[in-house]
Amino acid sequence: MHRVLLPFEFFEPTTVNEVLELLDGEKTKVLAGGLDLVLDSRLRKIGLNKVISLQKIPDLDYVKYDPENGLSFGAMATMRQIEQFPAVKKKWQSLYEGIHTIVSVQTKIMGTAVGNICVGTPVSDIAPPLFTLGAKVKIIGKNGEKTVPIESFFVDLGKTILEPHEIVTEISVPEQATGTGSAFMKLGKTAEDIAKINVAVTVNLKDGICQKAKIALGAVAATPIRATEAEEAVKGLELDDRCIEKAAEAAAERVKPITDVRSTAQYRKEMVKVLVRDSFKLAIARASE
Amino acid sequence: MGKEIADFIINGTKYEEIIEPHMLLVDVIRDKIGLTGTKIACWAGDCGACTVLIDGLPILSCLTLAVTAKGKNITTVEGLADGHELHPIQKAYEEKGGVQCGYCSPGMLMSTKYLLDENPNPTREEIGEALAGNLCRCTGYVKIVDSVEYAAEIMEKGGTKQ
Repeated sequence: MHRVLLPFEFFEPTTVNEVLELLDGEKTKVLAGGLDLVLDSRLRKIGLNKVISLQKIPDLDYVKYDPENGLSFGAMATMRQIEQFPAVKKKWQSLYEGIHTIVSVQTKIMGTAVGNICVGTPVSDIAPPLFTLGAKVKIIGKNGEKTVPIESFFVDLGKTILEPHEIVTEISVPEQATGTGSAFMKLGKTAEDIAKINVAVTVNLKDGICQKAKIALGAVAATPIRATEAEEAVKGLELDDRCIEKAAEAAAERVKPITDVRSTAQYRKEMVKVLVRDSFKLAIARASE
Repeated sequence: MGKEIADFIINGTKYEEIIEPHMLLVDVIRDKIGLTGTKIACWAGDCGACTVLIDGLPILSCLTLAVTAKGKNITTVEGLADGHELHPIQKAYEEKGGVQCGYCSPGMLMSTKYLLDENPNPTREEIGEALAGNLCRCTGYVKIVDSVEYAAEIMEKGGTKQ
């Protein structure tokens, strides 16, 4: 194991435009909280020529809410800031739970939510909630600005649609319609460990009938994924136990997890069923409140 | 930006050190400045042994580039005691058996300091949550939680041991 990082050039621009000018290829990386960047660099998983810090750019560390645009947070907003933002716990329960299951206070104080997404890991605890809450990712590059749904942001293991000349400046989460509830659940070896699998469900009910359900699963594929078959299976139905069970089975059917040090594929598949079922029930209870 | 002379303010003292951007804060603190109270165990952000406070917030110094901590107020475990007079948190850990082998203690103490600064009267559950990023392989945590509870108690009474 390597003990030190290899040398690189370091820049601390104070505007996003300066960042864009400095971005010049695969070996130039952006530093937000630095958790993955520093670790991966030390482990030689990534090679770095240039590191561009976002820490000196003012106004990227916001978390804000207004009824029209919902919740949005900037590239430097930490997990801790979002976790402690009062509206999050109340309105986007699954996002709160996703962050809350990251137990290390230090990690949440250093780590940014945008950074977590940009790493492109399928094990992210905030990606499944964001998938089911309709989050959008704002990307700025040399060719201008665009906003994409978070599902299309993830491409493959450790790979996102982000081009070397682009950065993410904001993630936004829309206000949820009346009758909506969400929940997140995670299964880990210990509370501190990363997820074996994780699940987020958002459900919208009207008069007890499911108008819309969104289910996202983490750690069962190269990216977080939506369980669209399961979502379709419950649409327009009254969500009784049998119906939820059917959706959970459809979600488990959909996944082809791997066997690794944390769990076997078979166990993961079985537990997708259990976690989808349980988080569905919790989301329904919240939607009915 | 390459090699530079940077100021680090650690426990109220200013240190001038020659650093490069790829250097880690923990290495500057331990190897350059010689404050070896801060420990390293996992090098990966899992164990919390390297926790120090930057501007009052607990961070992992093994995953922090030293260059990003220039000029900020850094507190390490050496900054807790007042000369030979231990900080109430340290006294509480000593008294309640929160220290066994002691390797995790510097990190535990810094996380405790942050917790009690934010929340002077935490519940046992809140203590558990606040220390979740610090691993201990000796105590089983019960005595550490006892220590933090006790520290809160003696700090409320004015910072001195009864």
